[in-house]
Amino acid sequence: MRALALTPIFALMAAASATAQTGTGNPAAMSPGAAQSAPGMPAPHQANENDRLFVKAVTTGGNAEVLLGQLAEQKGRAQAVKDFGHQMAADHGKANQQLAQLAKAANLPEPSDLDEEHKAMRSQLEQSSGADFDLAYIRGQVADHQKTAQLFEWEIGSGQDPQLKAFASEVLPVVLRHLQMASNIESQLSTTASTPSPPAQRR
Amino acid sequence: MPGTARISLLVGAAAASMAWFSAAADPLPPSATYRPLPTLPLSAVKANDEAEKPQVMRDQQSVLDQRYDLSNNPIPGVMMSGGRKPVQGGVRVKLPAGATWDTLAGMSPDEVRQRGLLPPGFTPLPHVKQATGGQVIPNSQIDEIRTQEGRNLRRFDVDFDLPDTFTPEFPPPIFLSGHPELGDVSRGRLLTIKNYYEMMVGFITPVQMEGLRLLLTPFPQEEFNQTEDRKVEDQSLGITCLDCHSNFHTNAAFHQTPDVRPQAARFRLDTVSLRGLFNQQIHGSKRSLRSVEDFSEFEQRTAYFNGDHMSAQRKGVNLPERHDQTAMLAQMQNAIDFPPAPKLDPAGRLDPSKANERELAGERVFLGKGRCAECHIPALSFLDNNMHDLKLERFYEVGHTVNGLVQLPDGPIKTFTLRGIKDSPPYLHDGRLLTLADCVEFFNLVLSLKLTADEKDSLVAYMLAL
Ligand code: HEC
Ligand code: HEC
Repeated sequence: MRALALTPIFALMAAASATAQTGTGNPAAMSPGAAQSAPGMPAPHQANENDRLFVKAVTTGGNAEVLLGQLAEQKGRAQAVKDFGHQMAADHGKANQQLAQLAKAANLPEPSDLDEEHKAMRSQLEQSSGADFDLAYIRGQVADHQKTAQLFEWEIGSGQDPQLKAFASEVLPVVLRHLQMASNIESQLSTTASTPSPPAQRR
Repeated sequence: MPGTARISLLVGAAAASMAWFSAAADPLPPSATYRPLPTLPLSAVKANDEAEKPQVMRDQQSVLDQRYDLSNNPIPGVMMSGGRKPVQGGVRVKLPAGATWDTLAGMSPDEVRQRGLLPPGFTPLPHVKQATGGQVIPNSQIDEIRTQEGRNLRRFDVDFDLPDTFTPEFPPPIFLSGHPELGDVSRGRLLTIKNYYEMMVGFITPVQMEGLRLLLTPFPQEEFNQTEDRKVEDQSLGITCLDCHSNFHTNAAFHQTPDVRPQAARFRLDTVSLRGLFNQQIHGSKRSLRSVEDFSEFEQRTAYFNGDHMSAQRKGVNLPERHDQTAMLAQMQNAIDFPPAPKLDPAGRLDPSKANERELAGERVFLGKGRCAECHIPALSFLDNNMHDLKLERFYEVGHTVNGLVQLPDGPIKTFTLRGIKDSPPYLHDGRLLTLADCVEFFNLVLSLKLTADEKDSLVAYMLAL
C-alpha cells in the first residue's frame, strides 16, 4: 500500500485559486457581516457556522483515526489491518496538523478530546482481539470513511472559508481511497470469516 | 440496518458492539440533505451575486475551454430536423498532452487512471454555479418568453454557459403522433400560454389541450418565485414545463439532479426531449419512475424544487390533481412523436434502398463490433428501458472537485433514445459531450471497442440518419 502523502501546499493557497477549484459560494448562505475580499467573495479565513461544525467533526474524527490506527497497528491480526492502521495514523496525523493551522487562522476552537462514539469504540476494540478485532476495526473504518466523505462534500458546497473548502476538496479523494481500501479489506476478512456481507459501495 | 443483526450473530461480541457505535454517532448536519433557509436579505444576496457573476462566468468558461474545442464547425449539409440549425461535427473533447484517441483506446482503464489521461471533457460537467445550482435557461428562451409573456426568466447570478452552436435549434419543430401526415406543426413558433390555443385548436383533443395549458402555466419554482430566496429580480410567477422542454423538445436548459445530496455531489442535468415519450418505460436518468403520469406529477417537486418537498411547500408548490390533471399532462406529452426518419424501416433498421453505403456500414458497426444495439435496440426506439452503469470511474480518480462539483461515479443511468439524436446536443445526462463524434469516442473507450477511424466516421453518419 502506497503511502498517501498530504502535501501542505493547499494551506498556503490564496483565496483566488481556492475558489477556482471549489467554485464561488452561495451568497444566500453567507454569515451576515462576514468580511469580504471582493463583493460576494468571503475574505480568507472567514468561517460560517458550517465551517465551525466541519472543523469540530473532522478534528474529533481525525484524532480518533490516529488513536484507533495505532491500536490496529499493535493489535491487528491480519497484516492488511496492521498496515491500514499504520497508514491511518500517519495520514490523519498529517491532515490533523493541516486542519489545526487552518482552524487557528480562522479563529475556530478545536476539540482535543475523543467524542463519546469513538471512546466507546476504542474501549470495545481494546477488549477484543484476533479476527474479532480486525473485523470490528475495519467495519468501523468503513462506516467512518463513508460519513467523512459525505461530510467533506457538504463542506465543499456549504462552507464559507475558502481555505477550509479547499482543504476539504484536497483531502476528499484521499478519504475515498481510504474507504475503498477499508472496503477491500473488509470483504477479504468477511470471506475469511465466511460472513455473507457484500463489500460496501459508495452508491 | 437489518444486516447488522445477522453479522453480530456470526462474528460475536465485537461486531454486536458496532451496532451500538453507530447508534451513538452524531449524524451528519441536516443541511447535507435539506435546503437551508437564506441567511441574508434578498438585497444583500443579490448585490453579492451580481458582483460575483463575472467571476462565476469566467470560472465556468475556463472549465469549458479546458474541456472542449468550442469552435463553430458544422457538418456540411447536415441540419437539424426543422432545417433551422446546422449540426456541429468533429470530436470536441480535448485530448490531454501527449495522448491520441488511439493510444488511449489501447490502454487499460487502470493505466488511463493511473497516468491521469482521461480527457477532462469525458468527466462530469459542473453546473455553472454548483453551490447555488438551480435551473438555468438559455437566452433564446428567455428573450422569447419576455417578448410573448412579459415574464422574466433571467437570473441575476448566472447566465447559460454553452455557446449557442451546441444547443438544439430554436424553436424546435413539433411532430404529432396523431397526425404524421402533417409534419412539423410548430410553424416556426415557440408554444406559450399566449399562443397555444390558437395554434393547436383543431389539431389536438380537448384533453390534450387542457394538458397543454397546464404544461404552459407558470408555477413557483426554487429560483423563480416570490420569496427572498429567488434568483430573479422581480417576484416571479414561476416556470412552465415547456420553458425547458421547448415545444416538447429541449432547449438545453439545465439544472442539478434532485436525486443526490449533498449539494457538491449533485451532478448537472441537461433537459431531455419529450419526443417519443410514449415508448419510454422508465423516466428520469436516475429515478427510473415507471410512468409519465408519475413523472409529470413529481416533476413539480423535482425540476421545480430539487426534490425537496419542504422547500416546495414554502414557496408554493402546484400539485396537479391526480385523476384529471395528471392524466391530461401525460396524454399531451405522449402525443409527441420523434422527427421522421425516412431511411428507417418499421423495425428501426436502415432501408438499403434509401441509405447510403456509409450509413449502412455504420449500422453494421452499431449492431456488431460497436455493441451499441445491446442497449440501444433499433426496434425499441433505440432504448432498452434499462439503466446501465458505464463505470467511467475505472478511468479516473474520483473525488476531485471541479468548479464546485465533486466528481463521483455516475452509477446506473437510463439508456437514452437515439431517434432524432442529431437534434438534441449536448449529449449524456449532464450534457458533457457536444457532438456525436464525441459520443463515439466516449463509447469506444468505455466499451474498449478499438474502432478504426473509418468505423467511427460511419457510426456518426449512421446516427445522423436516425
Ligand atoms: C430545467 C427545466 C425543466 C423544467 C421546468 C421541467 N423539466 Fe422535465 N426534465 C428536465 C430534465 C433536466 C429532465 C431529465 C431528468 C433526469 O434525468 O432525471 C427532465 C425529465 C422529464 C421527463 C422524463 C423524460 C424521460 O423519459 O426520462 C418528463 C416526463 C418531464 N421532464 C416532464 C416535465 C413536466 C411535466 C414538467 C412541468 C411540470 C417539466 N418536465 C418541467 C428539465 C425540466
Ligand atoms: C451498456 C449499454 C450501452 C451500450 C452498449 C451503448 N450505450 Fe449509448 N448510452 C447508454 C446509456 C446508459 C446512455 C446514457 C449515459 C449517460 O447519460 O451518462 C447512453 C447514451 C448515448 C448517447 C447520448 C444520448 C443522449 O441523448 O444524450 C449516444 C449518442 C449513444 N449512447 C451512442 C452509443 C453508441 C454509438 C454506442 C456503440 C458504440 C453505444 N451508445 C453503446 C447505454 C449504452
